[in-house]
Amino acid sequence: MAFAKDIMIEAIDINKEYRRAGAIIRALVDINLRVKSGEFIIVQGPTGCGKSTLLNVLSGLDLPDSGRVIFDGENIARATEDRLSRIRRQKIGFVFQDYNLVNSLTAIENIEALLWPTVLSNKEIENRSIAALRDVNLLERKDHHPVQLSGGEKQRVGLARAIIHRPRVILADEPTGNLDPESETQVMELLKKINKDRETTVIVVTHRAHLNKYADKVIKMDKGRIIKIE
Amino acid sequence: MWKKAILLSLREKRIFTVFVLIYTILIFLSSLFIELGIGGQLGESAVFFILIFFSTSLILSLLYAWILVSRRRRVWATFKCIGYTNKNIIILVSGIILFTTSMGFFIVIEVLFHYAAIVSYLNSAKINLDVPILVGLVPVIITSVIFILVQLLALIVVYRKVLKVRPIIALKRVGV
Repeated sequence: MAFAKDIMIEAIDINKEYRRAGAIIRALVDINLRVKSGEFIIVQGPTGCGKSTLLNVLSGLDLPDSGRVIFDGENIARATEDRLSRIRRQKIGFVFQDYNLVNSLTAIENIEALLWPTVLSNKEIENRSIAALRDVNLLERKDHHPVQLSGGEKQRVGLARAIIHRPRVILADEPTGNLDPESETQVMELLKKINKDRETTVIVVTHRAHLNKYADKVIKMDKGRIIKIE
Repeated sequence: MWKKAILLSLREKRIFTVFVLIYTILIFLSSLFIELGIGGQLGESAVFFILIFFSTSLILSLLYAWILVSRRRRVWATFKCIGYTNKNIIILVSGIILFTTSMGFFIVIEVLFHYAAIVSYLNSAKINLDVPILVGLVPVIITSVIFILVQLLALIVVYRKVLKVRPIIALKRVGV
């Protein structure tokens, strides 16, 4: 099957079930989805509707029980663990709700950590990290440890880590879930800016409806199904 | 990556200091008992003590490996999420364990050198305190080589535990 050049991710007939306490939970049911290159997508729905599972499957963190996930022309549902790691390192930037920064490392070291396993020189890694910190307006905090940063600042460090390797796609799971309204606006506007300036595809999972204004497309989910695409 | 393992070890000051001190004491005691064993001063009990110290080292290494992987599962899961392979993480954890043991070795060598220097100086100044050179260099090197071999067993455990860390753990909410 030919893969359209402007399609970044395509999910075809995806199904995923979990067993929890003896019960079978249908997390994803017959999901079909096309994400174009450079799109800003928000996946929305109530808690437990399968939106995080969808994000995990689209990024190769979790495998579907059936169906295919074509990521940048490659079926990642069949990729080896090492191949998936490389795809994530080269093409995907993750933003986590809980920031997931290493407390013993400074802000700049947390960002640099993504590039440690690469062949880039220390100087190049440092230059890229400084540029990423500048992009999220946090350069003056580069030597601070996560405990010395506010929630919003931690998330901006997380965002800098997500863009340092110039990914094709940024996947954000409730990136503003722990933030106050002001920090939420800062983070969402930064995501939008990265999306516009670099034509990076952005997929944000959130239950906050007021964030829809940032999206080109809003995917609404319920009980594991896509119920509406706006 | 090895340099980054050293950076990570040094940043976890408390745990690093505790394990370096324990390794230092164990390496010193094992070397001392090997020295006494070679000199025939302790008879068969020297072998018994040496075995105890090496077994302690093995248990300690397994404990360190467990702390590094299990208690930091979320860190390694995050690293996997952002593109680290299992091999990358094993290099980091192995580097931390081997660096900690090596520091114990260097501290023992350093202390023994200073001790020997003081004794030699006092002897040359005709101040004879009648104290022996505690441990020669050879028993320390033998001990350190055996300790590093013991670490390799711990690294096998690390390897199996790292494989079990799923990157998806990084996306789970803290406290959920």
